[in-house]
Amino acid sequence: MKSTLWKVMVVTVIGVVLVFAGATQALEIREGKKILVFGGRQPAPNIDPSQYYDWSTRMLEQSLYDALLKYVESPPRIIPWLATKWEASPDAKVWTFHLVKNAKFHNGDPVTAEAVKFSFERTLSIKKGPAWMLLDVLDPSGIKVIDDFTIQFTLSKPYAPFEAVLPWWYIMNPKVVMAHEKDGDQGQEWMKDGDAGSGPFMKKRWEHGVLYEMEAVADYWRGWENPNHVDGIIFKLIRESSSQRIAIQKGQCDIVEGLSPEDYEVVAKYPGVYVTNDPGLTTFGVKMNNQKGYTKDVNLRKALCYAFDYPSLIEIYNGNAILEDSPFPIGLKGHVPTDMYRQDLTKAKEFMKKAGYPDGGFELEYVYVQGLEEERKIGLVLIDNLSKLGIKVKMVPLAWPNMVARGSKVDTSPDMMAVFTTPVFNDPDVVAYQYHKSSWGKYYGSAHYNNSRVWELTDKARTISDWEARTKIYEEIQHIILEDAPEIFGMQYNRRWAFRDHVKGFVFCPVRFTGEVDLYPLYIEK
Amino acid sequence: MKQYILRRLSLIILTLFGLLTIIFMISRVAPGDPARLAAGPDATEEMVEVLKKEFGLDKPLIVQYIDYLKGLFTGNLGRSIRTRHLVLNDLIRFFPATFELTVFSLLLAVVLGIPLGVLCAVYRDRSLDHAARVFSVSGLALPMFWLALMLQLFLALKLDFLPVGGRLGMLTEPPRAITHLYLIDSLITGNLFAFKDALRHIILPAFVLSFPALASIIRVNRAEMLEVLSRDFVVNARAHGISRFRIIGQYALKNALIPTTTMIGLRYGWMLGGTILVETVFDWPGTGLYAVQSAVYSDFQPIMGVTLLVGLNFMVANLIVDLIYGVLDPRVRYE
Repeated sequence: MKSTLWKVMVVTVIGVVLVFAGATQALEIREGKKILVFGGRQPAPNIDPSQYYDWSTRMLEQSLYDALLKYVESPPRIIPWLATKWEASPDAKVWTFHLVKNAKFHNGDPVTAEAVKFSFERTLSIKKGPAWMLLDVLDPSGIKVIDDFTIQFTLSKPYAPFEAVLPWWYIMNPKVVMAHEKDGDQGQEWMKDGDAGSGPFMKKRWEHGVLYEMEAVADYWRGWENPNHVDGIIFKLIRESSSQRIAIQKGQCDIVEGLSPEDYEVVAKYPGVYVTNDPGLTTFGVKMNNQKGYTKDVNLRKALCYAFDYPSLIEIYNGNAILEDSPFPIGLKGHVPTDMYRQDLTKAKEFMKKAGYPDGGFELEYVYVQGLEEERKIGLVLIDNLSKLGIKVKMVPLAWPNMVARGSKVDTSPDMMAVFTTPVFNDPDVVAYQYHKSSWGKYYGSAHYNNSRVWELTDKARTISDWEARTKIYEEIQHIILEDAPEIFGMQYNRRWAFRDHVKGFVFCPVRFTGEVDLYPLYIEK
Repeated sequence: MKQYILRRLSLIILTLFGLLTIIFMISRVAPGDPARLAAGPDATEEMVEVLKKEFGLDKPLIVQYIDYLKGLFTGNLGRSIRTRHLVLNDLIRFFPATFELTVFSLLLAVVLGIPLGVLCAVYRDRSLDHAARVFSVSGLALPMFWLALMLQLFLALKLDFLPVGGRLGMLTEPPRAITHLYLIDSLITGNLFAFKDALRHIILPAFVLSFPALASIIRVNRAEMLEVLSRDFVVNARAHGISRFRIIGQYALKNALIPTTTMIGLRYGWMLGGTILVETVFDWPGTGLYAVQSAVYSDFQPIMGVTLLVGLNFMVANLIVDLIYGVLDPRVRYE
């Protein structure tokens, strides 16, 4: 019986080996077409450009749809896309765009000014997704079709950053959208998974929770810059950093995002893989409650700013980060370097005295996202640094929804909260507004910063079309915020992706969200 | 018997109602504003209000609860506020993957666990028994996610033997949907390529998910077999010259299987819960992963849908186990 058992086991093992051996493949080739595989963590459950956006969704939206303008390169630059040229009135209220005449939707319909009008009206009336960018300044009645290829926007009030938001407003085919309208929903139900675009890729296979596949539009109206452009993209969902690492190492993916800093170091040394490393615009700061508790006192906030060991932030990111030198991120339009806080315990103790706590003797709460290792490590740095001022730090990991809920009200907002913020478009207004009263209640407004001068200047700057005049205002804003020390200004970590070495053409643009890649310029070199 | 089943089914409905009420209340008192999260970090108050109105979150809690119950009777489990997808459609899409993984894992645990338990009892304190003991203790002690990562590293990265994750290869078209279980559908449609691919993909997650259950089944079945083998009727059977194989396989095992069956029923429910970890590590597109992603965004309706589904499965599995008792032990009567 014993020998029979062993025989069965050996035969089983051999059988399993024969059945399962030979597993992986590099770049996917199907019927001679090059299918690039992108491994990403975040699903894209709703690709209606009027309803939803986050990095993964917008990466697909950007592939399926075109906008009037497009962001490219670093520092971010706006280039004409569906619009060939545009002009603004001196008061930044009237904006006229001239469209290309050869652009067509995936079903062959031309992209006209009517389609542009329809798309803007749809997003504004649905009031979801990117609508917040223009709801306050653009009424549907202000959108006028001049002719088939000219459209004019008359804003309800001057808004200088108007052109900066347009790359995120995608143009949809009105016929396709309205053909799927149900109960007056403007096609929302269908558009969650629908394709009504004119972009370089068309929707092919959509398996929610698994993968999204698109195929290149062979006769894309703008053409393809490189003859070796990819013929298709598979956006494969791989949630775990370690699984992503294995996938890129084994060639099961051509691009992955979201590896841990340590994993990027590992795969960078792996043959056939390269890792990009570009300075991003996403800032990390420890927001302090400016209206309640110990941190209400500006002197105490300054003491904390002077006590913090800033280089440790760089160490946590294995050197792949830079320290902020202003409340506005380095690389953002309108940023000016300021005399930023750096660790100086003598000054820190002076400010503790001014605050009335020369020996500390109290505890502050540090809230961070549960499971986010970098934020946990930063908390440990805070514990060490603030102990030198006699302050204890209580680390409180919270799930993201709970954190947002706590930060939304002055009474519940923690003493210190770890916050990453990415500017949505390349204009200083987007960062200045984080310090505006309007941002209270949002996660980046958890400091509940309270300075009416900053609010006035921010409101004023967005109405001026003269860039020089705006620059001066934003410079003043940055200095005031710095002086008020509403947060411990931290760092900007580098954006990184790991690529198989046959993937070329990647163009980094820091105004895109974490993980988001412009798939259009990519090509294959073997 | 019929009356017993009807009584149990009505109890299931009552229990589900209680479960639903508790989950509804917990989800509503939990901190976090799902409309704010779904609207996006930059959304204006007006946009948040639009979402609240669309999803009925502006109504009093009791009205929301009644609306939800009304919806249940018409098969409407609500809509995800984050994705705007119907929860019922999502469950139909994701549950077959979880069901396939769980059943496959359970089968793996049963097919390996029961014979190993028997062998350990028969060869008590021999090398096989010792090896199985180490295996069982490991199965209960090793954290599931750690085991999953180690197996991925070893079998997928080092040996290039099995895929890292997913349910099928990227270019493999799913088989024509009949049961939505890829292994079954690919066999029914004669798509052997898809069958092989699906089998390769399910091996690792199924092994990880079944590991603790396998360990438990081995230990329980071994203990029960030892106890049964020492009983008088076994000695009597031996004295009558009945073959050892028949005594073990027909008489002893049947008696030992009753506690093991209970264990299997409980493990099914436990495995459905365990899929959350396994599905995350292996990117298995099932309800576990769906629940995790919904929870991250305080997306109540999907969480409630998954809870109902898991609860229902757990209760039905227990009912089936109770009915199997009667088959295994004729003394058990249902009244």
